[in-house]
Amino acid sequence: MAASPLPPPDPRFVLRGTQSAVHALHFFGGAKGQGQPLLLSGSLSGLVHIWSLQTRRAVATLDGHRGQCVTWLHSLPQGHQLLSQGRDLKLCLWDLAEGRNAVVDSMRLESMGFCRSTVLARGQRHWMLAMPGRGSDEVQILEMPSKTSVCTLKPEADAKPGMPMCLELWQAESSPRPLLLAGYEDGSVALWDVSERKVCSRVACHTEPVMGFDFDSQKARGVSGSAEKALAVWSLDEQQALQVCKTHELTNPGIADVKIRPDRKILATAGWDHRVRVFHWRTMKPLAVLSFHSATVHCVAFAANGLLAAGSGDQRISIWSLYPISSDSSTPLSGHVEDTEDGQELLMHRAEARTSRKK
Amino acid sequence: MAVFDTPEEAFGVLRPVCVQLTKTQTVENVERLQAQLRAVSDSALQELQQYVLFPLRFTLKTPAPKRERLVQSVVECLTFVLSSTCVKEQELLRELFSELSACLYSPGSQKPAAVSEELKLAVIRGLSTLMHSAYGDIILAFYEPSILPRLGFAVSLLLDLAEREKSKQIKIAALKCLQVLLFQCDCQDHPRSLDELEQKQLGDLFACFLPGISMALTRVITGDFKQGHGIVTSSLKIFYETVSFIMADEQLERIPQVQPKPAVEHRVAELVVHREAKWVKNTSDKLTLLIKKIIECVSVHPHWKVRLALIELVEALLLKCSQSLVGSAGPLLKALVGLVNDESPEVQAQCNRVLRRFADQKVVVGNRAFADILSENLHSLATSLPRLMNSQDDQGKFSTLSELLGYLKLLGPKVNFVLNSAAHLQRLSKALVQVLELDVTDIKIVEARRWHSDQLSASPETAAGQPWSQMQKRYFRFFTDERLFLLLQQVCRLLGFYGDLYLLVDHFMELYHESVVYRKQAAMILNELVAGAAGLEVENLHEKHIKTSPDELREIVTSILEEYTSQENWHLITCIESEEAGEELTVKQSGLRAITSGAHTCQVPSFPAFSKPSATICSMNGNIWQICIQLEGIGRFACALGKDFRLLLMSALYPVLEKAGDQTLLISQAATSAMMDICRACGYDSLRHLINQNSDYLVNGISLNLRHLSLHPHTPKVLEVMLWNSDASLLPLVADVVQDVLTTLDQFYDKRATSFVSVLHALLAALAQWFPDTGDLGQLQEQSAGEEGSHLSQRPATPEKGLENTTTAEDIEQFLLSYLREKDVADGNVSDFDNEEEEQSDPPKGGERDTGPDVEPPLPVQVQIAADVMERCIHLLSDKHLKIRLKVLDVLDLCVVVLQSHKNQLLPLAHRAWPPLVHRLTNDDPLAVLRAFKVLQTLGGKCGDFLRSRFCKDVLPKLAGSLVTQAPVSARAGPVYSHTLAFKLQLAVLQGLGPLCERLDLGEGDLNRVADACLIYLSAKQPVKLQEAARRVFLHLMKVDPDSTWFLLNELYCPEQFTPPHPSLHPVQLRGTTGQGNPYAANVLRLLQELQ
Repeated sequence: MAASPLPPPDPRFVLRGTQSAVHALHFFGGAKGQGQPLLLSGSLSGLVHIWSLQTRRAVATLDGHRGQCVTWLHSLPQGHQLLSQGRDLKLCLWDLAEGRNAVVDSMRLESMGFCRSTVLARGQRHWMLAMPGRGSDEVQILEMPSKTSVCTLKPEADAKPGMPMCLELWQAESSPRPLLLAGYEDGSVALWDVSERKVCSRVACHTEPVMGFDFDSQKARGVSGSAEKALAVWSLDEQQALQVCKTHELTNPGIADVKIRPDRKILATAGWDHRVRVFHWRTMKPLAVLSFHSATVHCVAFAANGLLAAGSGDQRISIWSLYPISSDSSTPLSGHVEDTEDGQELLMHRAEARTSRKK
Repeated sequence: MAVFDTPEEAFGVLRPVCVQLTKTQTVENVERLQAQLRAVSDSALQELQQYVLFPLRFTLKTPAPKRERLVQSVVECLTFVLSSTCVKEQELLRELFSELSACLYSPGSQKPAAVSEELKLAVIRGLSTLMHSAYGDIILAFYEPSILPRLGFAVSLLLDLAEREKSKQIKIAALKCLQVLLFQCDCQDHPRSLDELEQKQLGDLFACFLPGISMALTRVITGDFKQGHGIVTSSLKIFYETVSFIMADEQLERIPQVQPKPAVEHRVAELVVHREAKWVKNTSDKLTLLIKKIIECVSVHPHWKVRLALIELVEALLLKCSQSLVGSAGPLLKALVGLVNDESPEVQAQCNRVLRRFADQKVVVGNRAFADILSENLHSLATSLPRLMNSQDDQGKFSTLSELLGYLKLLGPKVNFVLNSAAHLQRLSKALVQVLELDVTDIKIVEARRWHSDQLSASPETAAGQPWSQMQKRYFRFFTDERLFLLLQQVCRLLGFYGDLYLLVDHFMELYHESVVYRKQAAMILNELVAGAAGLEVENLHEKHIKTSPDELREIVTSILEEYTSQENWHLITCIESEEAGEELTVKQSGLRAITSGAHTCQVPSFPAFSKPSATICSMNGNIWQICIQLEGIGRFACALGKDFRLLLMSALYPVLEKAGDQTLLISQAATSAMMDICRACGYDSLRHLINQNSDYLVNGISLNLRHLSLHPHTPKVLEVMLWNSDASLLPLVADVVQDVLTTLDQFYDKRATSFVSVLHALLAALAQWFPDTGDLGQLQEQSAGEEGSHLSQRPATPEKGLENTTTAEDIEQFLLSYLREKDVADGNVSDFDNEEEEQSDPPKGGERDTGPDVEPPLPVQVQIAADVMERCIHLLSDKHLKIRLKVLDVLDLCVVVLQSHKNQLLPLAHRAWPPLVHRLTNDDPLAVLRAFKVLQTLGGKCGDFLRSRFCKDVLPKLAGSLVTQAPVSARAGPVYSHTLAFKLQLAVLQGLGPLCERLDLGEGDLNRVADACLIYLSAKQPVKLQEAARRVFLHLMKVDPDSTWFLLNELYCPEQFTPPHPSLHPVQLRGTTGQGNPYAANVLRLLQELQ
């Protein structure tokens, strides 16, 4: 075996049964000591499936978007509450505690766009929500659960960035002021100071609309993907100015989603070319091309324990276990990574499948 | 019936006889006395006891030499008196005791006097009766140190009798009497139990007899087996009663260190034993020797009652003398555990009872010393086990293993002391592995083949009862006795139950990895360990023992499973050219359906034994067993985990199913029974249910493995088995995986087409079964009837066929309507008409059409699949392997069935499939020709118009032509001709043509062409089979156009003259000659008969 090249990595397993394209994925729970996390998937047909990763089967189905595509899923940090956003212009708040699955609250969205919302926890029971606003280029900020509108972020009249495509609320550790990162239709990423309602900085990363980005607040670095053939890595300096560090060329255009793993070691992209690509986050070295799906990959998600899920138009969700998060902090990633070109499945150092038996 | 109730009366009667006896001491006088005594009541006799006894004792005491006969009758008479009265005086008791014992005294010798057996018996009985007749107080007072010499004499006398006498009766009586003397009598007359002080007194007293008694009894016990079990049993009883009384821990605890001054004379005092520590030590050492001797001899005693008594001995000694006899504990325990698996159920039960009692009272576990001894024993047994397993015969192995089992049972959780020593675990495991080695020389194991690929319908209920009973018998190299295997199984289970499971599993896993030589045995042991850990069929003697927790067990099982099903342990070579043989089988299975002649004989793919060295056979046999054992293990794990096993199904079910499709009989059987176990454990009613409920796991495995087909060549098999066993509810899942299959097929077009084609076959067969076209049932029946043969009686009475007597006005109307419709079709209005038809047959789709008239409703999934598959079939139709072509034709046939109501999909595909299909019909192996005809038939039923013209244009001329040109050849040919390809082709074409003509509803011209080509084959000169086939063609033609067929046949041979019904009509003269030499006569006659 040692001589022959390792076969391209396979998914750990595949979840089937959504019966329509998968557009949103979110891992739920699974923090340390809580056992296996659950995986939530939102489908084109408007259903949210809750998957047990232990039995690999759907344990429940939530139907709250009247047959319209579910585009965003997010669980709130406290309690078993889930937010789901659908193309029926509704944002639903679900209570999932103790096997319940009922909508406890819902809100109307004002925008028909594709933009996914974002939340930021503020205190025990309060959280801030950012979602696309009434005007096509606006972002609306709300205080939840009271639903009081905080402000509407509207770009200056001469900027014309187009619609917001993706949003992320965050807060630097040093300051209590919430910040909003927004990717726009014209390919630019802007940093908003929510309390001052002004753009701190804006940088053009792509020539096509930004389809998805993820931001590492520790390293103050972010990565974004767009409809074009490149990934852009940008950073934020002390003066809160965004600047593009580098771009990474891809062989095929179209990145639907980008996610950085919680341990900030690797990142994964969902490609329109049916493939999931994995990169080293620090160096942006390509690590693997995961080809399994037979249609566009719409979304990727990482679990706290390192599992990667990818949802695709072929109605399947593939679950991958790559470079397992080791308990000691030393990075296992450097060394055995070869340069790759697209289509060539990269030979991966696969983690020993055999888990050592407990003594 | 006492006659004399009062002492006065009795005295009156007895006096003369007593006087008489005192005067003249003769046997007659004694008998007279005894006769009189019988008439005296007990109470009266009690009064006169002393008086009556006097002459008798006098007789005994008279110094003159006495005749034995007299002594005997005196003793008997005495016994009689004593048996009816009580001895109330201390003195009398002592004197009588001495006088009776003295009867057997021979001066100057240690041995009893050489007297008749009757006398001996009488004396023994007398003594026994005497002791019974003494009052309780008196008897206790009797046992004082001063009596020691006399008692000692009696005891040694009795022991001597028991040991040396020939008569069994005397021996038994002596032993009985001994029991009485030693206070062990179990009769009702001694209800009083002794208090502590009395016990101590007696113990002190008897202690001095202990050496004598124990040694003499040991000699008796270890004597000839033939002496009878009764003697040995009661000797054993006396032995342990005596020893356990004298050496009782309870008594010895209270013995003071300093001996109190005895209040007896010096000579006697020397005899008294003081049981202080040193004495105990000495005695115990000596007893240990005796006990060992006894155990050695008795544990193999042929009579079960003796062995039962041995268990009692062990129980009594271990319970009462655990400290004083600690040195004997080892052998005693060994004897006990050795009897755990005794052949007698009574002994077994008693043994288990004692073991349980020990466990309950913590005799072993609570007692450091015992636990140590047991561990020690187990240690030494483990050490010698490999050697013993090597050298002993089956019986020896059986007892050794029984012993091992007993130790494990007794030690319970403490077994870990032994297991924790690496050296001993090593030895134990080595011995187990060694003895479990399988005999892998049987070639049948390798040869046996599974015949049917879809035989998985059995439900767990059919294999009721013992879950593992249907397991194939195994042959071991080192033993043949079935019981030994069960014993080993028990040993392993107990180990798993009490032992540290992690430690054991790790150890045997290491052995499993270490070498192929150990692998099977290690797997067997692992299976049993897990079963044992779950407590399956394990008898727990230790109530407080905590079993391995389900979570831990699941974890362990998961890791073992992973190991079992890993690539290198699961995919072993079990036969030569597996792929080839497997394909041949499936071809035959479906091939038999189409072939009626004996042209194709079944060949068992027998193993070419001569061509391969036998080492390979052994290793293949070994591999088969290995897989079977691992499969059995999976079943057992399921039983061990119960419903918890459901979680493991995602990794376990796929490999098991893979093996269920294996062609080696043994493996597929083992896999099926493993699945049964899984069904039972996880609560599924049947295999179908199991597969159905878990097909998502299977599909996951299949789709992932398809990506690496070279590594997982059996993947298509699993899908096939899954398809045979699932239903329409799985369609979405199936559709998902079919895409993967087709993609992979496109990649591996050339190499692995065989296995894929059979998957496609299974898939389409399943689809056809899941989605039957309800409107077409009648047609299907008709078709099958057509295939059956040529019975015109089954002919459907359709109006078009023109049978005058059934024609009604409605029929005519119907005929005209359909004629108009056909005319319409002929004018080119095909598509509209078809669409209408489709809409009618598909009501649910109608609603959707309203919402979006421009958008075509999406095709049903099964139709899409069938279309995709048919697409591939078009390419594969011209594969270079006949087997594949045949299979593809079958698949094509099924595709057509599934697509029949979707003409828009079917027709273009049929159009594209036509050229290769024509090739199959006109230029291929006879088998393929036949199969292609079948496809044409199906196709003809579904899209007849489409096909008719093409058939007539492309195929018919060639076929007819070849039939005509070949006819003279076959007419002239000899018997060998039936083995040629040409013959088979002719036959195939003839067989295919008939049904097809009927199905396609050919026009007259084409029918004539068929008839012309076939007429020649009605000749008697043709081979019989061809004649038959030709006749069948005509039977079909008759169905289509009876009149013209009649005419045609009569043109050939006319059996009768037709006389016109009216003279004004011309007589009809047909061309057929009536001459004798007409070669067509026979066949035409038969056909015309059918037509009447």
